[in-house]
Formats: sequence, C-alpha cells, structure tokens
Amino acid sequence: MKLSDRVTGLFFCGLGGISAIAGSKLPPVPGQEIGPSVFPMVVGGAMALCGVMIAFGIGHKFEEEAEADLAAVGMSEPEPTRGPIYSLRLLVPPALLAFYVIAIDQLGFFLTAAAMVFVLSTMLGGRLRLSLPLALIAPIGLHLIFGKLLRVPLPAGLIPLPW
Amino acid sequence: MMNIISDAFGLVFTTDVMIAILLSSIYGLVVGSLPGLSATMATALLVPVTFYLSPIAAIATIISASAMAIFSGDIPGALLRIPGTPASAAYTDEAYAMTRKGQAELALGAGLWFSALGGIAGTLSLMLLAPPLAEIALQFSTYEYFWLAFLGLMCATLVARSSPVKAIVSMLLGLMISAVGMENAGGIPRFTFGLPDLLGGIEPIPALVGVFAVSELMRAMVSPEPPQLPRRKFGSILAGQLKLTKKYWWPMTRGNIVGIIIGVLPGAGADMAAWVSYAMSKRFSKEREKFGTGHVEGLVEAGASNNASLASGWVPALLFGVPGDTITAIAIGVLYMKGLNPGPTLFTEKASSMYALYIIFILANIIMIPLGIWMIRGASFVLRAPRAGIMPVILLCCAVGSFATGNSLFAILTVAAFGIMGYVMEANGYPVAAMVLGIVMGTMFEQSFVTSLIKSDGSLLPFFERPVSAVLAALAIGALAWPLLIWLWRRARPMPVRA
Repeated sequence: MKLSDRVTGLFFCGLGGISAIAGSKLPPVPGQEIGPSVFPMVVGGAMALCGVMIAFGIGHKFEEEAEADLAAVGMSEPEPTRGPIYSLRLLVPPALLAFYVIAIDQLGFFLTAAAMVFVLSTMLGGRLRLSLPLALIAPIGLHLIFGKLLRVPLPAGLIPLPW
Repeated sequence: MMNIISDAFGLVFTTDVMIAILLSSIYGLVVGSLPGLSATMATALLVPVTFYLSPIAAIATIISASAMAIFSGDIPGALLRIPGTPASAAYTDEAYAMTRKGQAELALGAGLWFSALGGIAGTLSLMLLAPPLAEIALQFSTYEYFWLAFLGLMCATLVARSSPVKAIVSMLLGLMISAVGMENAGGIPRFTFGLPDLLGGIEPIPALVGVFAVSELMRAMVSPEPPQLPRRKFGSILAGQLKLTKKYWWPMTRGNIVGIIIGVLPGAGADMAAWVSYAMSKRFSKEREKFGTGHVEGLVEAGASNNASLASGWVPALLFGVPGDTITAIAIGVLYMKGLNPGPTLFTEKASSMYALYIIFILANIIMIPLGIWMIRGASFVLRAPRAGIMPVILLCCAVGSFATGNSLFAILTVAAFGIMGYVMEANGYPVAAMVLGIVMGTMFEQSFVTSLIKSDGSLLPFFERPVSAVLAALAIGALAWPLLIWLWRRARPMPVRA
C-alpha cells in the first residue's frame, strides 16, 4: 500500500479543503459570531496547506533518515513481494470484524467467534491441530471473561453457552 | 497529610487492587514480549476490562501492564534481534550483540534492573513535580490551556520519526475526527453524514484499538513469521547488576533525567526517550568505540530512560489532561471514565487517590523484578507460541473489547475502519501516534480555542497577553518552526552529519 507523496498529499489537500468548506456552511449560534464552524475551518485550512506541501515533497528528507535508522535495526517495513492478490490478505482482519457485526445477532457469539478464530488462524499458516482447538477454546474463554464475569451482553444465538 | 497517606495505603492494599496488579503485570509481560504487540496495544486492549473495575484497580491495571510491557519488549530484542515494543528498538542491536557474546543474562538483567530503577525515578519525579505545577495550573485560564494543548500537539509531531509535515497532517486528521459529533459550541450535528451512530462522536478507544491492534494484525498477514527461539537455560539474571549500577551511575542518572524530561513533554514517550538516551550515551561515553559490539553502557542508559519516561508522562496527563504519550492518552480516557477528571484540583480534592497512584507505581516497579526474572526464564516458552495461535485471540479481543465499551456494534466497525486507516498511514510514513493524540486532545483543544475566542470577541491578541500564555505561545510557535530551522541550518552546511 505504498502510495506516492503526490497522491497522499493531494488527498489530504482535498479532504482539508472540503472539510473547511463544509465547516463554514454549518449554522451559527444566534447572536454569536464564533460557533461550531471555526474549528473545522482552521483545521481543514491547515490540512489543505500541509497537503500541498507534502505533494511538493517538502519534509521528505526527514523521513528517509528515520527509515535508515529503523532499517539499521531491522524494523523497516518489508515490502510485500507476492503480488496484488497476496496483498488482499491484508483485508482479512477488518473483513472478519465486519463479519462479526453482520453475523453476531443470528449466529450468536460462540459460532461467530469460532469462525473468526478458525479462519484467521488457518490463514496465518496454523495447522488443523492448532486452529480447531483454538477455535473452540478462545470463544469459550472470552465468553467467560466478558460475558460471565464482566456481564457484557453477548448474544447467545444458535449455540447458547451453558452459563 | 498522614491521614491522606494512610487512606491511600488503604485504597491500594485491597484484594481486588492486588489481584488487578498481579494479573495485569503478567499480561503486560507476556504481550510486551511478543514481537509486533506493543505496550500501547496491550494497554488499549485492557481498557474494556477496566470499565468493570473500581477506579484504583482500573488505574493499577494500566500502570502495571504498561510498565511491564516496556521492560518485556527488551526480551525478544536481546534474544532474537526483534524488539518486542518500539521502545526497545533503539538498543536492540546492542543487546543482541551481547547475547552473541554469551552475555544474554547480563543484557536482560540490565534491562530489568535499570527499568525498575528508572520507573522508580520517574515516579519520584511525578511526586515532586506534580504538586507545585498544580499550584501554577490553578491560575490557568482557557488561553493557557489552549497553548498547552497546542504545544502538546506540536511536540507529538516533532518527535515523530518521520517527515514533520506528514506528522502535522496526521495530527490534524485526528483533530478533524474529534470534530465529528454534537459536542461543539453550537451543539449541532457536525460531519455526521446523517448517521445517528456518529452523533456522539467517534469514541477514542475503538479508534485506538483499531490503529494499534488491527493494523498490526494486518501487517502480520503479509509479513513472514518471526524466527522461533531456541530453548536455552539462563544463569543468574541479577548477578553483577549492583556492580554495573556503581560503575554506570552517572549514565543511569542521565538516562533517568532525560527520560523524565521527555516523558513530561506532552506527546513524547518511551520510544523517543530510548532513542535519545542511547544516542546520548554513545556521544558522551569514554568507550565510544565499544558501542555496537555488545557494550552494556547504552543499555543501562536507555533502559533507565524509557521506563522513567513512562511515569513522568503522567505529569501533564494528571495536571492538564494533556497526554505525555500514547499510553497516558489511553489512561486519560480511563481517568475520566472513573470520575478522576484530570486537572489541578485532582491533587486537592482526590489527594488520597493520587498518593494511591504513586504507591501503585512503586509497587509495580518492585514486583517487576521477580516477575521479570520469571518472564525471562519462561521467554523461550512464550516466544515459541506460533503467530497463528496468538493473532486470532487478539482479533477476538478487539471485537469483544470494543463492543464492551458501549455495547454498540458500531464500535466494532470503527475498529475495522481505523485498522485500515492505521495500516495505510503507517505504510506511507504518516505517524499514527500523532493522529491518536489529535483524537484524544481534540475536544479539549477545540473547547479551549473556541471559548477563548468567544471571550476575546474574535480577537487573537489576548492569546498572547497573559505572561504564562505568552511563554507557552512562544514555545508552541518555536516547536512549529523547529523543523524549518533544522532545514535552514542544513542548507547552510552542505555536508550533513549522520550519527
């Protein structure tokens, strides 16, 4: 996901500009000049300005030095080498969170959580010997802590846990 | 006075607080030692649990987990050359070089011993600095608070190890995110896009969990598994540490002082303290040529520094609600939730709670030594845990934990969205810590800014008229101009010096 500075800079320039304009259109407090529009206008304006600076490459030098320091201790970001389809794996964790939101009310906590754990564990190279027991134990453990001990309302769904 | 102190002991030495300290210490040690799981992430994942604890127990979990995690990050650094937390990155090479020379015990022992001493030094600074500063802070008006918040935000961008312009944009993005919702001068929905879930604004905790935990999970999806640690037996961990303390008392003290100063600075935290102290140690050492070959001196100074900064980071957090680093940014949220609203009056009205906090800090740093020794001995066991076994549990904790903060499924979507945002930003050199501070401080920043403007009838002059605010303004503007000055200075000297 390495984008050029020109792209990200222009993105922030646009975002700042739009926020400033949208902020300026907010209704004022009657009889009062300063209201909810001031803050977005100031922040948006500054953001747009910085966006332009980034697009022109200002400050890039500082970044290269920091990267060189990190590379020296082996902490720099390894570039994904296996092509765009492999990079899609990136989206698995957020997608599983979205799955949780969609499925939790129908399937209930146990099934949803077990599915999430199983998928992520398998995709990270876990063998069945690891991912199956983990998918069984992790939801039960977390349900004990959050559902039973801390009384967070986790939906029971298809397989209600016995406590 | 004695009354308050005995009250404080009464608050701390209860069963629930003791259990909270012990369990969160073990949790902090384990999470901190796992590469890729940082101290901030450990703390963020703890917050949902603190909802259900008593105020003192809640703060105790945050303090002990973060202190342990910062130390524990040294363990994989020394054994595998992979820092467990960013705060250990500065001296990972040095520690690993010592391990290769057969001095793993000395390296890890120094990390543990000087972390604990540094933590206690930081706590002393918190005890000494906070009350007099509270006196001064009582006279602050919105102008001073505005400049303080501004200074905190600028420091966060200055210390980011990236382009200052990108850091400022990240910070501004955080401020913009905090502007979402109805909490503004007019009480009207702002940037909510008609979504009722956004009327209350974007909660900082799910955002933090997303940025620090989910983006880390995403990184794990495309990076190779870290190497496994060969089983090994350790000799005595603490042997020779007293001798080191005597030999290097001055680098240690200097590390403590630098750590304390960096911690007090709003926005700059343990990672920065470690980098600065390691560099200082190398610069002023009598045996500079030994650095990088497995020399313990830099470890002493930087290890003392990063844990000292952790405690002193609470000074601005408790006094002004301006976080000293990302961990105290989370802590501030917990303080508000528990009715211990940060501010100078905290030291008069809730004095016993403040003393309880000091006691917890000291306790945590003392039990760090035995627990740390166990952790070092058990490290080969913990570090053998495969990623496929840990990451799924973390993901589940992210989902359930953020849901628990408000019993709303929207929080989980916030976590997912901020995970993607954090990943993309980090990959492109936009420091996420600056954005997080923007989110946490945004509401306070806007309030002090807008209230000041209303008081002054839109004029900017009163922002500079009061003596304290003028000084703070000068500092803040100096922080803004600093990168420009460095750039100009380098322009004037064509050959840049690289450390």
